[in-house]
Amino acid sequence: MDAAHHDRRAEPPADAALRGFSLLRDRVPADMAARVAARFGGADQLPADVSAAPGARQNEPPREPVVETLLMDRADRDRLRAAFDRGPFLTVELGEGADEAAALLDDWSGAPAADHPDLPGFYLSLTTGSAYGLQCPVLVCDELVRRGALDPQRRSNVELCLHEAVANAIVHGNLGLSSSVKGEPGGYRRFSEMMRDRLGDPAVVRRRLDIFCRWNERSIAIAVVDQGGGFDTELAPAVSGNRARSGRGFVFMRTLASRVTVTDGGRCTVLQFDR
Amino acid sequence: MDFKTTNTGDATDVRLTGRLEFTDHDKIPDIVELLDQMAGNGRRRLVIDMSALEFIDSAGLGMLLILQEEAESREIKMIVSGPAGDVRRSIELARLSEIITIEP
Repeated sequence: MDAAHHDRRAEPPADAALRGFSLLRDRVPADMAARVAARFGGADQLPADVSAAPGARQNEPPREPVVETLLMDRADRDRLRAAFDRGPFLTVELGEGADEAAALLDDWSGAPAADHPDLPGFYLSLTTGSAYGLQCPVLVCDELVRRGALDPQRRSNVELCLHEAVANAIVHGNLGLSSSVKGEPGGYRRFSEMMRDRLGDPAVVRRRLDIFCRWNERSIAIAVVDQGGGFDTELAPAVSGNRARSGRGFVFMRTLASRVTVTDGGRCTVLQFDR
Repeated sequence: MDFKTTNTGDATDVRLTGRLEFTDHDKIPDIVELLDQMAGNGRRRLVIDMSALEFIDSAGLGMLLILQEEAESREIKMIVSGPAGDVRRSIELARLSEIITIEP
Protein backbone atom coordinates (compact mmCIF):
# COMPACT_ATOMS: atom_id res chain seq x y z
CA MET A 1 0.00 0.00 0.00
CA ASP A 2 2.74 2.41 0.90
CA ALA A 3 5.80 0.95 -0.76
CA ALA A 4 8.15 3.61 0.59
CA HIS A 5 7.35 2.66 4.14
CA HIS A 6 9.23 -0.60 4.15
CA ASP A 7 11.82 -0.08 1.45
CA ARG A 8 14.71 -0.17 3.88
CA ARG A 9 13.60 -3.57 5.11
CA ALA A 10 13.91 -5.17 1.67
CA GLU A 11 10.38 -6.35 1.06
CA PRO A 12 8.72 -8.57 0.06
CA PRO A 13 8.89 -10.94 3.01
CA ALA A 14 8.56 -14.68 2.65
CA ASP A 15 4.99 -14.28 3.82
CA ALA A 16 3.04 -12.08 1.48
CA ALA A 17 0.07 -12.06 3.89
CA LEU A 18 1.80 -9.27 5.80
CA ARG A 19 1.39 -5.86 4.27
CA GLY A 20 2.79 -2.86 6.00
CA PHE A 21 1.57 0.64 5.52
CA SER A 22 1.54 4.02 7.13
CA LEU A 23 -1.82 5.17 8.25
CA LEU A 24 -2.12 8.62 6.67
CA ARG A 25 -5.15 10.80 6.51
CA ASP A 26 -5.25 10.64 2.74
CA ARG A 27 -4.93 6.88 2.56
CA VAL A 28 -7.69 5.56 4.78
CA PRO A 29 -11.24 6.81 5.23
CA ALA A 30 -10.99 10.21 6.89
CA ASP A 31 -13.17 9.35 9.88
CA MET A 32 -11.12 6.23 10.58
CA ALA A 33 -7.83 8.11 10.41
CA ALA A 34 -9.21 10.86 12.63
CA ARG A 35 -10.40 8.33 15.18
CA VAL A 36 -7.04 6.55 15.26
CA ALA A 37 -5.07 9.79 15.46
CA ALA A 38 -7.34 11.07 18.23
CA ARG A 39 -6.93 7.91 20.26
CA PHE A 40 -3.28 7.19 19.74
CA GLY A 41 -1.84 10.55 18.99
CA GLY A 42 0.45 9.62 16.15
CA ALA A 43 3.96 10.76 15.39
CA ASP A 44 4.57 14.34 14.27
CA GLN A 45 7.29 13.16 11.95
CA LEU A 46 7.67 10.11 9.87
CA PRO A 47 10.14 7.56 11.23
CA ALA A 48 13.69 8.07 9.99
CA ASP A 49 13.66 5.03 7.75
CA VAL A 50 10.64 6.35 5.91
CA SER A 51 11.89 9.86 5.28
CA ALA A 52 15.23 8.44 4.15
CA ALA A 53 13.59 5.96 1.81
CA PRO A 54 13.99 6.52 -1.91
CA GLY A 55 11.09 8.51 -3.22
CA ALA A 56 10.29 10.17 0.09
CA ARG A 57 9.72 13.80 -0.64
CA GLN A 58 11.95 16.23 1.21
CA ASN A 59 11.21 19.75 2.46
CA GLU A 60 7.52 19.18 2.76
CA PRO A 61 5.19 21.14 5.00
CA PRO A 62 4.50 19.47 8.38
CA ARG A 63 2.87 16.09 7.86
CA GLU A 64 -0.39 14.80 9.17
CA PRO A 65 -0.19 12.41 12.13
CA VAL A 66 1.10 8.96 11.33
CA VAL A 67 0.45 5.81 13.29
CA GLU A 68 2.66 2.91 12.29
CA THR A 69 0.31 0.16 11.34
CA LEU A 70 0.49 -3.34 10.00
CA LEU A 71 -2.45 -5.19 8.54
CA MET A 72 -2.62 -8.93 8.09
CA ASP A 73 -5.23 -11.14 6.50
CA ARG A 74 -5.19 -13.80 9.17
CA ALA A 75 -3.28 -13.89 12.42
CA ASP A 76 -1.36 -16.88 13.69
CA ARG A 77 1.54 -17.11 16.09
CA ASP A 78 4.31 -16.82 13.49
CA ARG A 79 2.71 -13.94 11.64
CA LEU A 80 2.13 -12.04 14.85
CA ARG A 81 5.73 -12.51 15.93
CA ALA A 82 6.85 -11.33 12.50
CA ALA A 83 4.55 -8.33 12.83
CA PHE A 84 5.93 -7.47 16.27
CA ASP A 85 9.45 -7.78 14.87
CA ARG A 86 8.73 -4.85 12.61
CA GLY A 87 7.65 -2.84 15.60
CA PRO A 88 4.50 -1.12 14.34
CA PHE A 89 2.29 0.59 16.85
CA LEU A 90 -0.91 -0.98 15.57
CA THR A 91 -1.25 -4.53 14.33
CA VAL A 92 -4.65 -5.35 12.91
CA GLU A 93 -5.95 -8.65 11.63
CA LEU A 94 -8.43 -8.03 8.86
CA GLY A 95 -10.04 -11.44 9.17
CA GLU A 96 -10.36 -14.28 6.74
CA GLY A 97 -11.95 -13.38 3.44
CA ALA A 98 -12.53 -9.83 4.66
CA ASP A 99 -12.57 -7.09 2.15
CA GLU A 100 -9.95 -4.62 3.14
CA ALA A 101 -12.01 -1.49 2.64
CA ALA A 102 -14.79 -2.83 4.84
CA ALA A 103 -12.35 -4.01 7.50
CA LEU A 104 -10.85 -0.56 7.72
CA LEU A 105 -14.23 0.72 8.81
CA ASP A 106 -14.49 -1.89 11.56
CA ASP A 107 -14.27 -0.44 14.99
CA TRP A 108 -10.83 -1.77 15.76
CA SER A 109 -9.86 1.35 17.59
CA GLY A 110 -12.05 0.39 20.49
CA ALA A 111 -9.40 0.86 23.16
CA PRO A 112 -9.74 3.89 25.39
CA ALA A 113 -8.14 7.07 24.17
CA ALA A 114 -4.58 7.49 25.29
CA ASP A 115 -4.13 10.04 28.07
CA HIS A 116 -0.54 10.48 27.01
CA PRO A 117 -0.23 9.68 23.32
CA ASP A 118 3.55 9.96 23.42
CA LEU A 119 4.08 7.03 25.75
CA PRO A 120 5.44 3.89 24.15
CA GLY A 121 3.04 1.07 23.54
CA PHE A 122 1.48 -1.23 21.02
CA TYR A 123 -1.96 -2.22 20.01
CA LEU A 124 -3.22 -5.52 18.66
CA SER A 125 -6.61 -6.15 17.12
CA LEU A 126 -7.59 -9.75 16.38
CA THR A 127 -10.75 -11.51 15.35
CA THR A 128 -12.21 -13.83 17.99
CA GLY A 129 -11.75 -16.82 15.70
CA SER A 130 -7.99 -16.26 15.65
CA ALA A 131 -7.64 -15.15 19.25
CA TYR A 132 -9.29 -18.33 20.52
CA GLY A 133 -6.52 -20.85 21.05
CA LEU A 134 -3.77 -18.47 19.93
CA GLN A 135 -2.57 -17.77 23.47
CA CYS A 136 -2.14 -14.11 22.63
CA PRO A 137 -1.34 -13.27 26.31
CA VAL A 138 1.87 -15.27 25.88
CA LEU A 139 2.72 -13.38 22.68
CA VAL A 140 1.90 -10.01 24.23
CA CYS A 141 4.03 -10.73 27.32
CA ASP A 142 6.89 -11.95 25.10
CA GLU A 143 6.70 -8.63 23.30
CA LEU A 144 6.49 -6.57 26.52
CA VAL A 145 9.64 -8.33 27.75
CA ARG A 146 11.38 -7.86 24.42
CA ARG A 147 10.63 -4.13 24.41
CA GLY A 148 12.00 -3.87 27.95
CA ALA A 149 8.63 -2.88 29.45
CA LEU A 150 8.14 -6.01 31.54
CA ASP A 151 10.62 -7.43 34.01
CA PRO A 152 10.86 -11.19 33.29
CA GLN A 153 10.57 -11.77 37.07
CA ARG A 154 7.10 -10.20 37.04
CA ARG A 155 5.97 -11.78 33.85
CA SER A 156 4.08 -14.77 35.14
CA ASN A 157 1.62 -12.72 37.24
CA VAL A 158 1.04 -10.26 34.40
CA GLU A 159 0.50 -13.12 31.99
CA LEU A 160 -2.06 -14.82 34.25
CA CYS A 161 -4.04 -11.58 34.66
CA LEU A 162 -3.94 -10.84 30.96
CA HIS A 163 -4.96 -14.42 30.22
CA GLU A 164 -7.99 -14.10 32.50
CA ALA A 165 -9.02 -10.78 30.95
CA VAL A 166 -8.65 -12.21 27.44
CA ALA A 167 -10.54 -15.40 28.37
CA ASN A 168 -13.41 -13.29 29.78
CA ALA A 169 -13.44 -11.09 26.68
CA ILE A 170 -13.61 -14.10 24.37
CA VAL A 171 -15.93 -16.42 26.29
CA HIS A 172 -18.31 -14.06 28.08
CA GLY A 173 -17.84 -11.04 25.81
CA ASN A 174 -17.59 -12.00 22.16
CA LEU A 175 -18.95 -15.56 22.37
CA GLY A 176 -21.67 -14.37 24.75
CA LEU A 177 -21.55 -17.46 27.00
CA SER A 178 -22.58 -17.36 30.63
CA SER A 179 -20.78 -19.48 33.20
CA SER A 180 -24.05 -20.14 34.99
CA VAL A 181 -24.59 -23.05 32.57
CA LYS A 182 -21.61 -24.83 34.17
CA GLY A 183 -23.44 -24.85 37.51
CA GLU A 184 -26.22 -27.08 36.19
CA PRO A 185 -25.90 -30.88 36.42
CA GLY A 186 -23.87 -32.00 33.40
CA GLY A 187 -23.63 -28.32 32.48
CA TYR A 188 -20.01 -28.70 31.39
CA ARG A 189 -21.19 -30.71 28.36
CA ARG A 190 -23.77 -28.09 27.48
CA PHE A 191 -21.17 -25.35 27.94
CA SER A 192 -18.70 -26.89 25.51
CA GLU A 193 -21.50 -27.53 22.99
CA MET A 194 -22.51 -23.89 23.21
CA MET A 195 -18.89 -22.82 22.83
CA ARG A 196 -18.55 -24.96 19.68
CA ASP A 197 -21.79 -23.51 18.29
CA ARG A 198 -20.68 -19.94 18.79
CA LEU A 199 -17.25 -20.62 17.32
CA GLY A 200 -19.04 -21.89 14.21
CA ASP A 201 -20.98 -18.64 13.73
CA PRO A 202 -19.10 -16.40 11.26
CA ALA A 203 -20.64 -13.20 12.64
CA VAL A 204 -19.53 -14.13 16.15
CA VAL A 205 -15.95 -15.12 15.29
CA ARG A 206 -15.49 -11.87 13.39
CA ARG A 207 -16.01 -9.84 16.57
CA ARG A 208 -12.81 -8.19 17.67
CA LEU A 209 -10.56 -8.66 20.62
CA ASP A 210 -8.30 -5.68 21.11
CA ILE A 211 -5.27 -5.56 23.38
CA PHE A 212 -3.69 -2.20 24.01
CA CYS A 213 -0.44 -1.90 26.01
CA ARG A 214 1.18 1.31 27.19
CA TRP A 215 3.86 1.95 29.76
CA ASN A 216 5.90 4.66 31.43
CA GLU A 217 8.80 4.39 33.87
CA ARG A 218 6.49 3.48 36.76
CA SER A 219 3.75 1.26 35.40
CA ILE A 220 2.31 -0.81 32.57
CA ALA A 221 -1.36 -0.57 31.56
CA ILE A 222 -3.00 -3.21 29.42
CA ALA A 223 -6.53 -2.73 28.10
CA VAL A 224 -8.49 -5.71 26.83
CA VAL A 225 -11.56 -4.80 24.80
CA ASP A 226 -14.29 -6.99 23.35
CA GLN A 227 -17.37 -6.38 21.23
CA GLY A 228 -19.83 -8.45 23.26
CA GLY A 229 -22.88 -7.43 25.22
CA GLY A 230 -20.95 -6.28 28.30
CA PHE A 231 -21.99 -7.16 31.84
CA ASP A 232 -23.05 -5.53 35.06
CA THR A 233 -19.71 -4.39 36.42
CA GLU A 234 -21.16 -4.15 39.94
CA LEU A 235 -21.41 -7.92 39.90
CA ALA A 236 -17.75 -8.62 39.08
CA PRO A 237 -16.72 -10.61 42.13
CA ALA A 238 -13.98 -9.25 44.36
CA VAL A 239 -13.96 -12.49 46.25
CA SER A 240 -15.40 -15.80 45.18
CA GLY A 241 -16.47 -18.77 47.25
CA ASN A 242 -13.76 -21.35 46.73
CA ARG A 243 -16.30 -23.96 45.60
CA ALA A 244 -17.63 -21.78 42.79
CA ARG A 245 -16.95 -22.98 39.27
CA SER A 246 -16.46 -19.48 37.96
CA GLY A 247 -15.59 -15.98 39.09
CA ARG A 248 -11.99 -16.74 40.01
CA GLY A 249 -10.58 -14.88 37.04
CA PHE A 250 -11.51 -11.52 38.56
CA VAL A 251 -10.16 -12.61 41.93
CA PHE A 252 -6.81 -13.42 40.28
CA MET A 253 -6.72 -10.07 38.52
CA ARG A 254 -7.66 -8.09 41.64
CA THR A 255 -5.07 -9.98 43.69
CA LEU A 256 -2.16 -9.74 41.26
CA ALA A 257 -2.61 -6.44 39.42
CA SER A 258 -2.05 -3.14 41.18
CA ARG A 259 -5.30 -1.87 39.69
CA VAL A 260 -8.19 -3.34 37.68
CA THR A 261 -10.71 -1.02 36.04
CA VAL A 262 -13.73 -2.18 34.07
CA THR A 263 -15.34 0.35 31.76
CA ASP A 264 -17.57 0.55 28.70
CA GLY A 265 -20.34 -1.49 30.34
CA GLY A 266 -18.00 -4.41 30.97
CA ARG A 267 -16.45 -4.47 27.50
CA CYS A 268 -13.12 -2.98 28.52
CA THR A 269 -10.87 -4.24 31.30
CA VAL A 270 -7.77 -2.23 32.09
CA LEU A 271 -5.05 -3.95 34.09
CA GLN A 272 -2.33 -1.87 35.67
CA PHE A 273 0.96 -3.19 37.04
CA ASP A 274 3.92 -1.57 38.76
CA ARG A 275 7.14 -1.96 36.81
CA MET B 1 -3.90 -29.85 27.35
CA ASP B 2 -3.16 -33.50 26.70
CA PHE B 3 -3.40 -36.37 29.12
CA LYS B 4 -2.15 -39.95 29.44
CA THR B 5 -3.70 -42.58 31.64
CA THR B 6 -2.00 -45.37 33.65
CA ASN B 7 -3.77 -47.88 35.87
CA THR B 8 -1.99 -49.19 38.96
CA GLY B 9 -3.78 -51.29 41.58
CA ASP B 10 -6.89 -49.48 42.71
CA ALA B 11 -5.80 -46.16 41.19
CA THR B 12 -5.96 -44.49 37.83
CA ASP B 13 -3.28 -41.92 37.19
CA VAL B 14 -4.04 -39.13 34.70
CA ARG B 15 -0.93 -37.22 33.73
CA LEU B 16 -1.67 -33.77 32.32
CA THR B 17 0.72 -31.94 30.01
CA GLY B 18 0.64 -28.51 28.36
CA ARG B 19 -1.81 -25.84 29.48
CA LEU B 20 -5.22 -26.45 31.06
CA GLU B 21 -7.37 -23.47 30.15
CA PHE B 22 -10.71 -22.18 28.93
CA THR B 23 -10.27 -23.80 25.51
CA ASP B 24 -10.17 -27.26 27.14
CA HIS B 25 -13.79 -27.65 28.26
CA ASP B 26 -14.34 -30.36 25.68
CA LYS B 27 -11.71 -32.55 27.37
CA ILE B 28 -13.79 -32.97 30.55
CA PRO B 29 -16.21 -35.53 29.10
CA ASP B 30 -13.22 -37.75 28.21
CA ILE B 31 -12.02 -37.76 31.81
CA VAL B 32 -15.56 -38.29 33.12
CA GLU B 33 -15.79 -41.31 30.83
CA LEU B 34 -12.63 -42.57 32.50
CA LEU B 35 -14.38 -42.24 35.85
CA ASP B 36 -17.17 -44.45 34.54
CA GLN B 37 -14.63 -47.11 33.53
CA MET B 38 -12.96 -46.85 36.93
CA ALA B 39 -16.28 -47.31 38.70
CA GLY B 40 -16.94 -50.36 36.51
CA ASN B 41 -13.52 -51.86 37.35
CA GLY B 42 -13.71 -51.10 41.06
CA ARG B 43 -10.90 -48.51 41.02
CA ARG B 44 -11.36 -46.02 43.82
CA ARG B 45 -8.60 -43.42 43.41
CA LEU B 46 -8.15 -40.89 40.63
CA VAL B 47 -4.74 -39.22 40.72
CA ILE B 48 -4.48 -36.07 38.58
CA ASP B 49 -0.73 -35.77 38.07
CA MET B 50 0.01 -32.09 37.43
CA SER B 51 3.78 -32.25 37.72
CA ALA B 52 4.19 -31.76 33.96
CA LEU B 53 1.41 -29.20 33.56
CA GLU B 54 2.75 -25.77 32.60
CA PHE B 55 -0.22 -23.48 33.22
CA ILE B 56 -3.73 -23.54 34.61
CA ASP B 57 -6.25 -20.70 34.47
CA SER B 58 -9.39 -20.06 36.50
CA ALA B 59 -11.49 -22.06 34.03
CA GLY B 60 -9.07 -25.00 34.43
CA LEU B 61 -9.49 -24.83 38.21
CA GLY B 62 -13.26 -24.86 37.70
CA MET B 63 -12.81 -28.04 35.64
CA LEU B 64 -10.97 -29.67 38.54
CA LEU B 65 -13.95 -28.94 40.78
CA ILE B 66 -16.32 -30.44 38.23
CA LEU B 67 -14.14 -33.57 38.07
CA GLN B 68 -14.04 -33.79 41.84
CA GLU B 69 -17.85 -33.72 41.99
CA GLU B 70 -18.15 -36.31 39.25
CA ALA B 71 -15.63 -38.51 41.10
CA GLU B 72 -17.45 -38.13 44.43
CA SER B 73 -20.75 -39.11 42.85
CA ARG B 74 -19.08 -42.41 41.82
CA GLU B 75 -17.43 -42.84 45.22
CA ILE B 76 -14.01 -42.26 43.75
CA LYS B 77 -11.45 -40.21 45.66
CA MET B 78 -9.72 -37.55 43.54
CA ILE B 79 -6.20 -36.43 44.39
CA VAL B 80 -4.20 -33.70 42.66
CA SER B 81 -0.50 -34.45 42.73
CA GLY B 82 2.71 -32.51 42.11
CA PRO B 83 1.53 -29.06 40.99
CA ALA B 84 4.56 -26.80 40.57
CA GLY B 85 5.50 -23.30 39.47
CA ASP B 86 2.70 -21.27 37.91
CA VAL B 87 0.22 -24.10 38.39
CA ARG B 88 0.87 -24.17 42.13
CA ARG B 89 0.56 -20.38 42.27
CA SER B 90 -2.93 -20.50 40.69
CA ILE B 91 -4.05 -23.29 43.01
CA GLU B 92 -2.83 -21.36 46.05
CA LEU B 93 -4.43 -18.09 44.91
CA ALA B 94 -7.77 -19.88 44.59
CA ARG B 95 -7.27 -21.62 47.97
CA LEU B 96 -8.20 -24.86 46.30
CA SER B 97 -6.36 -26.98 48.86
CA GLU B 98 -9.26 -26.29 51.22
CA ILE B 99 -11.58 -28.38 49.08
CA ILE B 100 -9.37 -30.63 46.96
CA THR B 101 -6.77 -33.08 48.24
CA ILE B 102 -3.40 -31.91 46.96
CA GLU B 103 -0.24 -33.97 47.38
CA PRO B 104 3.24 -32.56 46.76
